[in-house]
Amino acid sequence: MGHGKYLDPIPAEKQVVTVGSGERLEFSYVILPGESRELDLVIDLVGEGAEVDVKCLYLSRNGDRVRIRILVHHRAPGCHSHQLVCGIAATGADVRFDGRIVVAPGAQQTEAYQENHNILLSEGARVETLPSLEIYADDVKCSHGATVGQLDADALFYMRSRGISEAEAKRLQMLSFLSPVIPAGREEEVTAALFSLPS
Amino acid sequence: MDKDQHIIEEFTRGEYKEGFVTEVEQELIPKGLNEEIIRLISRRKEEPAWLLEFRLDAFRKWQKMEEPSWAHLDLPRIDYQDIIYYAAPRQDKDRPKEIDPALAETFEKLGIPLHEREALAGVVAVDAVFDSVSVKTTFRQTLEEKGIIFCSFSEAVREHPELVRKYLASVVPASDNYFAALNSAVFSDGSFCYIPKGVRCPMELSSYFRINARGTGQFERTLIVADEGSYVSYMEGCTAPMRDEQQLHAAVVEIVVEKDADVKYSTVQNWYPGDAEGRGGILNLVTKRGLCKGSGSHLSWTQVETGSAITWKYPSTILKGDYSASEFYSVAVTNHHQQADTGTKMIHLGRGTRSRIVSKGISAGQSQNSYRGLVRMAPGALQARNYSQCDSLLVGSACGAHTFPDIQSSCPGAVVEHEATTSKISEDQLFYCAQRGIAPEEAVGLIVNGYAREVLSRLPMEFAVEAQKLLQVSLEGAVG
Repeated sequence: MGHGKYLDPIPAEKQVVTVGSGERLEFSYVILPGESRELDLVIDLVGEGAEVDVKCLYLSRNGDRVRIRILVHHRAPGCHSHQLVCGIAATGADVRFDGRIVVAPGAQQTEAYQENHNILLSEGARVETLPSLEIYADDVKCSHGATVGQLDADALFYMRSRGISEAEAKRLQMLSFLSPVIPAGREEEVTAALFSLPS
Repeated sequence: MDKDQHIIEEFTRGEYKEGFVTEVEQELIPKGLNEEIIRLISRRKEEPAWLLEFRLDAFRKWQKMEEPSWAHLDLPRIDYQDIIYYAAPRQDKDRPKEIDPALAETFEKLGIPLHEREALAGVVAVDAVFDSVSVKTTFRQTLEEKGIIFCSFSEAVREHPELVRKYLASVVPASDNYFAALNSAVFSDGSFCYIPKGVRCPMELSSYFRINARGTGQFERTLIVADEGSYVSYMEGCTAPMRDEQQLHAAVVEIVVEKDADVKYSTVQNWYPGDAEGRGGILNLVTKRGLCKGSGSHLSWTQVETGSAITWKYPSTILKGDYSASEFYSVAVTNHHQQADTGTKMIHLGRGTRSRIVSKGISAGQSQNSYRGLVRMAPGALQARNYSQCDSLLVGSACGAHTFPDIQSSCPGAVVEHEATTSKISEDQLFYCAQRGIAPEEAVGLIVNGYAREVLSRLPMEFAVEAQKLLQVSLEGAVG
């Protein structure tokens, strides 16, 4: 039936990452071209002052089906969570991001932030994003932002006018767009993957 | 202390000043819903066969549908057989031309001018709907001179059947959703408005909906057609008596905006919200949709939602014409046990289409307030743009504020931006006001009005003042 009042959002049988009092979780996830992935991440902040930092990257092309589902449940007061999901979809990619933040009653002084940025590189790609906030406590700072857009033509022109080839200029811009979510040590892998996207 | 108590009691009782009942002789039909009832409504209204067929078709579709449960609401079980689907104040045979003095007085009390001479020159033309029928439409003569048709839906069916037939259900099909199908089957009255080519409507048009009879539901239908290059500003208001039982209001609003036409639709929704314990109130389950059909057309939605026990409402725009544009400005306030699940849908089909969403939710008491929105960029929506901003303000620790946006893009040339924030009125802000001698209650009013100003400033002048007062009243008792 309805769900007007707060219900525990985590089903009993679900695999959950719990973060206890004073603990900090850092989570990175990279999806490269040619990979169809389903990520279903549930993070339960159960202890006071727990912290979570999630970074997720996808690069998808023809035939890739990407589903990213992240639930961050603020059960205890004073917890902080940050999520950043960035990705690029080329022709034939099908991407869906479903990010949910739930702040339980009594989880005061919560800070929860979520950002999701997507670039549609070419026609025939599809991106859907569902960032949701469910808040049952009042002393909170929560926000989410989501964008779907394209490469910046002005920036490309700037680089072209300085003798950088179009393909290279595009790759540079994609790299800078993704750089906040590239995990340390995987820069080369991601840069190489950019070459496999149709330009 | 006793005196304080008294003042507070007075406050809560005086909260909903439109909660009175008008004693008029009512003409009711039996309770329940079946094909016979629909035939009866249609007969009462002396409708043509095609309209009865439309109703029956919708009813058959409705029977196969299920009540939606995806909204973030605790919707009580509605017994559709326990509702009276048609209630009309009995017409006085001796003077059929004039409006019943009791009704005139009712609208007077609500501040709705039904006498043309009393209204300021050329301010607002009103269509007043009382339960299931439209009781009066003002300024018709003035409007007719410009070729504008503004009348009750029933009259439109009689006098302009070709227009009604052409546009009815062209934006919201009968089987669109459960409540729209129900409305299509049993709708009783509503407003019809047609602005001819190139005409700028000289005054604001307004519909005022009033539920009065006990045990009834209100199912009105509004159809607005703005032909090429025309302009109209349309306002809608509503109130109902205070009762312990909940009453159903399932309306449909359809707007067709042709090439280069401009429609501004404003709502101040003040249905009875139920008492402080959550008893009674109106279940407001409404489908509103506009179609920006031609290129360069423009539709703007502005809503201030303070009433209703439950609000389920998503005024939407289909941006079909190239370079058409639409905006959605909303303030939704919930207090006590109210629940609101409201937002918008912007479907971008044409190239260069633009939309902007600004939603401000305020929750207090034990209420639940949700924003739900959809922005879709179809493959052909080249250079289309959307910007959405959804803010929630929490007053008190027992309420909830939620945001459920859905963004879908299949067009690499389109840009969509969405942001949402949730916060509360900070102690610092209240302290700052207290230092300057502003009591907490008043301070909250000030802060809320400032927070909602971006939306309130979009309302037509007649509405803006009322809306500001309403915000204040709705939050009374929320702090302190």
